[in-house]
Amino acid sequence: MRLAFILSEIGSGLRRNLSMVISVILVTFISLTFVGAAGLLQLQINQMKGYWYDRVQVAVFLCVENSTSPSCAAGPVTEEQRDTIRGMLESETFTPYVASVEYESQNEALGHFKDQFANSPIVDSVTADQLPESFRVNLVDPEKYEVINEAFSSLPGVDVVSDQRELLEKVFSVMNRASLGALLVAGVMTVCAILLIATTIRLSAFSRRRETGIMRLVGASKAVIQLPFILEGVIAAVVGALLASGALWGMSRFVIGGWLAREYPETAFISDQQVLLLVPALILLGALLAGVSSLLTLRRYVKV
Amino acid sequence: MIRFENVTKVYDAKSRPALDSVSLEVDRSEFVFLVGASGSGKSTFIRLVLKEDSASRGAVYVAGQNVANIPSWRVPRLRRGIGVVFQDFRLLPNKTVFANVAFAMQVIGKSRAVIRETVPEVLKTVGLEGKNNRMPHELSGGEQQRVAIARAIVNRPGILLADEPTGNLDPTTSMGIMKVLDRINSNGTTVVMATHDDDIVNTMRKRVVELRNGAVVRDDAQGIYIGETEAVAE
Repeated sequence: MRLAFILSEIGSGLRRNLSMVISVILVTFISLTFVGAAGLLQLQINQMKGYWYDRVQVAVFLCVENSTSPSCAAGPVTEEQRDTIRGMLESETFTPYVASVEYESQNEALGHFKDQFANSPIVDSVTADQLPESFRVNLVDPEKYEVINEAFSSLPGVDVVSDQRELLEKVFSVMNRASLGALLVAGVMTVCAILLIATTIRLSAFSRRRETGIMRLVGASKAVIQLPFILEGVIAAVVGALLASGALWGMSRFVIGGWLAREYPETAFISDQQVLLLVPALILLGALLAGVSSLLTLRRYVKV
Repeated sequence: MIRFENVTKVYDAKSRPALDSVSLEVDRSEFVFLVGASGSGKSTFIRLVLKEDSASRGAVYVAGQNVANIPSWRVPRLRRGIGVVFQDFRLLPNKTVFANVAFAMQVIGKSRAVIRETVPEVLKTVGLEGKNNRMPHELSGGEQQRVAIARAIVNRPGILLADEPTGNLDPTTSMGIMKVLDRINSNGTTVVMATHDDDIVNTMRKRVVELRNGAVVRDDAQGIYIGETEAVAE
């Protein structure tokens, strides 16, 4: 009986305040969409990190004819220097850091180059002796790049030691900033949502002050008086959260899955299943937002 | 049933207290008129009994319990034992007579079956048989006040507080309301009625407690009230 009564109170409250309820739904929808977008970006970054960190290598480029670094002053790398470098990479000193070493000759480098720039006219003008030969080093721990860099970069015959991870880091930092930006927008919208929920509850409390006054007098408990208000806000926010979840799912399915994944088949993208993991978090966040802000408002506007 | 011990209530430190060291005892099943001009402290008395406000000094006992010691979550229980009626009826305009009375039972979690059984009974007690489905605006002032009384007693409180219940009604209608209150009182409910209607007080011949400027100036067992002339004299 009491439950049915509370439900009917909620229903009448929602109907009476329809325009405010809709604005609460929309604002929570937008703010949670941005929260979710930030979450998706983080998921994507993790996905790409997992995918790429297994593949990134440290490349030890060897001197060619026109290398400019001081260690190449003596001209292109000699057979002897190459063997020393390989020996060092495979020595016991470096086994804790180095997982595997591969040698890439100038001809192989040209092959990779041609693959990579297949559609570019530059390919025709490049010859094998312009490209450096290199050792491709897979590290046990990709973070330990500095160890290799220090040991090899000044070795005679070594032009430059480059860490592919650095390139990725740049991509990730762009994505991190984008997700930070999304969080910032989400923060502003969340403040809007909280204030709007507070205002809605206030209006609702005002339009029902007669009922709550009588409830107080006949000894209704605090829960019966306040619950309809709190649930009104929570229901609106949860609807907003569901809309946000739908929008994010649609985005990941049709924009990422349908378009980006086709355009960039090499890249690992998040799947729409992973988006579904965000849904409970968004709903919880929306409900919490509404619950806390309506509780605080009620304390001021609905005396018990 | 209600006991005030040297109760003082100060709303604003600069003005005189609304109640000034009032001591008063109302027994079970008593009918008491609380009379006095506006601002004499009648409404403050009612607010203190309901724990809408707390006494600044002194103690208020309701049904043997010092209300100052009732924690806020137990206040609803205190109020379930007290019915209240106001001058302005305070009905819900968009609910029928039946729904208005039923509302008081719904909000404290009474079952539908109990409500269906009790509400018509109570409406009969206050003389509103057959008006279950009327809306408040279709009723006369006296009938609206009867609905309010029905709502106040539907949960069978031990105490009924009436704050100028006849203030908006003509003398004939007022007497009808008084009969209803008298009947409720004779069923064992303690009734405290604040009023400044001397005709009613003089007709009923009940206990009269007169307040002036927040102090009890008179407490007669079967008293009368000549309030208006005194109020003008001040």
